[in-house]
Amino acid sequence: MEHPFTWFSLLPFADKVPIHVFHSCLVFLMLILVAWRIRRSLRGGKDPLIPESRFSVRNIIEIVVQAILGQLHAIIGHGGEKYLPLIGGLFIFIFFCNILGVIPGFVPSTDNLNTNLAMSITVFLVYNYLGFKEHGLKYLKQFAGPVLWLAPLMFVIELLSHLFRPMSLSIRLFGNMFGDHMVLSIFSGLVPLVVPIIFMILGIVVSLIQAFVFSTLTAVYIALAVSHDH
Amino acid sequence: MDGLNSNAQKGAKGMARRRIVGVVVATLVLLTLAVPMVYAEEGGEAKGGGDFLMKFGLAIGAGLGMGLAAFGGGLGQGRTAAAALEGIARNPGASDKMFVPMIIGLALIESLVLYTFIIAIFLQGKI
Repeated sequence: MEHPFTWFSLLPFADKVPIHVFHSCLVFLMLILVAWRIRRSLRGGKDPLIPESRFSVRNIIEIVVQAILGQLHAIIGHGGEKYLPLIGGLFIFIFFCNILGVIPGFVPSTDNLNTNLAMSITVFLVYNYLGFKEHGLKYLKQFAGPVLWLAPLMFVIELLSHLFRPMSLSIRLFGNMFGDHMVLSIFSGLVPLVVPIIFMILGIVVSLIQAFVFSTLTAVYIALAVSHDH
Repeated sequence: MDGLNSNAQKGAKGMARRRIVGVVVATLVLLTLAVPMVYAEEGGEAKGGGDFLMKFGLAIGAGLGMGLAAFGGGLGQGRTAAAALEGIARNPGASDKMFVPMIIGLALIESLVLYTFIIAIFLQGKI
């Protein structure tokens, strides 16, 4: 999709690298810097349990990780913290990608279907793997429905619904970010002053909610796969 | 007596609503059918007639589809928000527990609208 202006188009290799790949790498770089900063703070001589005194990057990230951990415990139950690296990583990456799109001249890499499909197919493979790891071949019982004679019918339906999960995850994120970005660019084109602020605030809210929805749905899928209720 | 009366009222209201819906649908169908005919009468020998019909269909499909999807999604999300707000009003202490399922429900409803949005974008790109 054509963007009015991006900083990316000024770069010499702009026609060789896809725009969403470049912006993903930008977010990777930012996150690596943040992680390096936190690691240095944890390793630096003092007791790592004592938080920093000022309002710092480490404290912000600790609040975020605490919130994600609380959500995981609420959704998956005990043992939920095992999945923190995957789900927390997805949340922070998607949130940073989305929020990058609110800055004028940058493009959220999540408004391309390729980025989202990569993430949601990873989620699909991971939750099925976890299900098989937890239940063994009995995991297939979850697909068979409540009674045996309905199994042939239920199996097809469940298979389709499972195959549709990664698609709906990625299309939801794509549609939201794409639509939000388009509304923002159209209104900045119509009225360049003041009015886009409303849509930027909307963009920030949508960014947060979509990152939250993606990671929460991932947690729900994992919880459904590893639960023992069935 | 009251029940009968209200039943009769409800019946009358239902009839009126059905009539309105019928009129709206008929108008839409007539519009959809009539506009290309009018165009064909005006410039029947023009070569771009088929092309116009295709573009007309694409534009109408994208616009109407998006409108219908937004309508349905709005109704669904309105019901979700109403139920959640009612729950929170009855028991404000439990609002944290209602908030997350509400957001997930809203996202699941919204994704159905977004499918139409993407289809509309595809259609609009073909015009």
